[in-house]
Amino acid sequence: MTVSARTPEFALRIRSMSKTYPGVRALDGVTLDVMASQVHGVVGENGAGKSTLMKMVSGAIRYDSGSLEVFGTPLPGGEPHRAADAGVAMVYQELTVVPEMSALGNVLLGRLPSRAGVVWRQKAHADFDNAAKSLGFSIDPDCRAGDLSTAEQQLLEIMRALSSQRKLIILDEPTASLGPEDVRRLHSVIDNLRSRGSTFMYISHDLGAVLEICDVVTVMREGRIVETRPAKEWSRSDLIHAMLGSHSLAATTPRQGSTDIGEPLFAIEGLRAPGVDVPSLLLWPGEIVGLAGLVGSGRTRLLRTIAGLNMASTGTLLVRGQRVKWPRTARQAVKYGIALAPEDRKLQGLVLNQSAAWNVALGQFKRGGGGYFVSSKRFISWATSFTSRLGLRIERLGRQVGTLSGGNQQKVILSRLLARGVDGLLLDEPTRGIDVGAKSQVFETLRELANRGSAILWTSSELDEVVANSDRIIVIAGGRVVAELPKGSTVRDVLEHSFTGVEGERQKVEAGA
Amino acid sequence: MNIQEFLLRNIKIATRAFSSVGAFVALVLLIVGVTIAQPHFLVYGNIMNILSQWAPVGVMGIGMTFVVIIGGFDLSVGSIYALCAVTSAAIGQSQSPVIAYVVAIAVGFVAGTLNGLIVTWLRVNPFIATLGSSLAISGVTLILTGNAAIVVNNPSFGILGANRLGGFPYSGMLMIALFVILGLILAFTPYGQSIYAVGGNADASRLAGIRTFFVTGSSYAISGLCAGIAGCVTASQLSSAQATIDPNLVFNVLTVVVLGGTVLGGGRGAVWRTAIGVGILATLHNGFNLLNINAYYQNIIQGFVIVAASASVDWSRFLIVRSANPLNVPGPEDQLFGNQDNKGE
Repeated sequence: MTVSARTPEFALRIRSMSKTYPGVRALDGVTLDVMASQVHGVVGENGAGKSTLMKMVSGAIRYDSGSLEVFGTPLPGGEPHRAADAGVAMVYQELTVVPEMSALGNVLLGRLPSRAGVVWRQKAHADFDNAAKSLGFSIDPDCRAGDLSTAEQQLLEIMRALSSQRKLIILDEPTASLGPEDVRRLHSVIDNLRSRGSTFMYISHDLGAVLEICDVVTVMREGRIVETRPAKEWSRSDLIHAMLGSHSLAATTPRQGSTDIGEPLFAIEGLRAPGVDVPSLLLWPGEIVGLAGLVGSGRTRLLRTIAGLNMASTGTLLVRGQRVKWPRTARQAVKYGIALAPEDRKLQGLVLNQSAAWNVALGQFKRGGGGYFVSSKRFISWATSFTSRLGLRIERLGRQVGTLSGGNQQKVILSRLLARGVDGLLLDEPTRGIDVGAKSQVFETLRELANRGSAILWTSSELDEVVANSDRIIVIAGGRVVAELPKGSTVRDVLEHSFTGVEGERQKVEAGA
Repeated sequence: MNIQEFLLRNIKIATRAFSSVGAFVALVLLIVGVTIAQPHFLVYGNIMNILSQWAPVGVMGIGMTFVVIIGGFDLSVGSIYALCAVTSAAIGQSQSPVIAYVVAIAVGFVAGTLNGLIVTWLRVNPFIATLGSSLAISGVTLILTGNAAIVVNNPSFGILGANRLGGFPYSGMLMIALFVILGLILAFTPYGQSIYAVGGNADASRLAGIRTFFVTGSSYAISGLCAGIAGCVTASQLSSAQATIDPNLVFNVLTVVVLGGTVLGGGRGAVWRTAIGVGILATLHNGFNLLNINAYYQNIIQGFVIVAASASVDWSRFLIVRSANPLNVPGPEDQLFGNQDNKGE
């Protein structure tokens, strides 16, 4: 029609939408229009309401008041299949893979093609192959999804959304666990589908990517829309300014004082496990050591092995010069003062439906509860002495930990380790899914803990973060330490050593083969 | 790959393979063992008797498989079975058997649907929901019948249960047909796949647009339907029915599902597995009877077998988990750096 050529078509119209959770106003009168055939970015700090808003569009949760229209179809919220019928597909921030099903079943979840009532296998495989090809992703369609890595599972979800033929595709932090090559391919697929009329909503903490791929960018803060502008009219610093509002970014405090070369707090020697081979690793009190490595370099595996979570490991551990038995259970490791704050806070770190104070006391209820009869009050008063050091406000301690932001959840876990007297802190992706403001708080907390004499070994997939916030950087490749870099090294240095390390590994394999 | 990794990988493959064909291997070994001890076991007549005798449990096992794969549980199948047997007998006294069966099966379907509604709409834990409905349904059955046996004198009512074609019992044919049909539905239709999806991750399925309420509820309806069919078969076999027809039936039904390797908790399993489970349990019982082993010993052995069957599945998981990946979480170390292209500060 000629009319639609003149009047722009709206893919999504949200009118004064609000949502209140007990004690939190998650969304406060949000009004937003998204034009069809555009990539619309949404940025904001964690807890700004981006994901909540998107989940309302996709029907994952209900809204309290307001209205919602997708391509002219009003949606009541809370019914994902109706949103799907209206043309919405969403990649959620939390992985929503069905682990027992095949990769194919996951990509075509809920919409397997059928012929005469029976799953049409050829068509399903063709659909899968198309989706995989457009993302440049090769994977066996019949392999069990639960056996895939996080990055591969993330790609399955992206394939699920992109291949759905739906017109409004919402991507909530789609690149969180993807490598740069995969991100580049994703962006070119988005470009391609946009030119064929698909509309995207793109949520990311990666502002560079948002500015690059989006036509329009909306900034949210504290459940409200701050501003919407064409992407060309935003700069990176504008965005950060709008996201943070009044509070500004604090730079990480550098390490106080010089290295006091005394005795290492922990000395690891001759550590061997499947995929891990570390002849020597020393951790000194007061330092923050960053662990950097490429895909499959074994960062997480190394951390888990040191934390006693790898039965098949052998090595020597010296705690303050004292030789002890190599830990093969987490309990043993904690006894030596070593503990891991795992990457997946929600699955491996917290009991989400219990209070924050209860979670601090997890594993030490007798101490935390003040005896054989526990009470939430006692938990809170006991936990306060640890959480207050980390800047977690006391009124949050009684709340369900699942309702806290990622940064505060991280603090709950750190408080727990603190309470156990752990001075060898291993942190796997402590900043994953945490916004800029909370990140700098996490680093301040780590610095504070280091200043009190802890040794911290941490890793992040964001290399610039590791470089900027570590006193020393250990580069690993193929489970081996390939370099040790001083503070002030650049991302380029780390990458160089990583790639050299990877090449070295490959040459070794080739020579051995 | 060093030797350790090589070994781990092979342990992983072997344990997985075992958990997928272990039940089948166990059935074959059991049949061979029983046949050696008592050659009269593996003869046509005896196998046909077994088919006829185990048809009700087998049919109910199919329905239970759906419910267990979706992550649920149905304790009420025994009561629904009794209610439907009584219903078909009561109607069969005066009406044609077909009408009696259709009504009884409809009653089972409705009862199963009610279970489904309780579990989905009222969000009651399936164990509690079906425990409650089980009690209520058997109460209804007892009130309706006064626990008197309802005898059907119409000989055509007994055809389904008692007649055979060339020695092959109709009831056994019915069971096999249902195994094939419902097995194909579960394995090869989008509906069947959505059962696995909801059982494997209900949240993900809901968010992907699957009507999880419908899928979950329907699995209970299927279970009720199967219990209704099983009730008709038994009523026809006996040409009579009573409220307290077989109070422990539900345990046998659960046993055959679990013996086949369908996992309580959902997401994994298959109808063909339940067929193997029926084979194992039927062989055990029949073999013991042929060998004149006391029924009480049979109970002890059945108890051990069901625990051992589940343990073997979990043992393989234990091996996999402990060796390669302590929490069985996909290795996040397989990630690239996040966004190194993005340094423009």
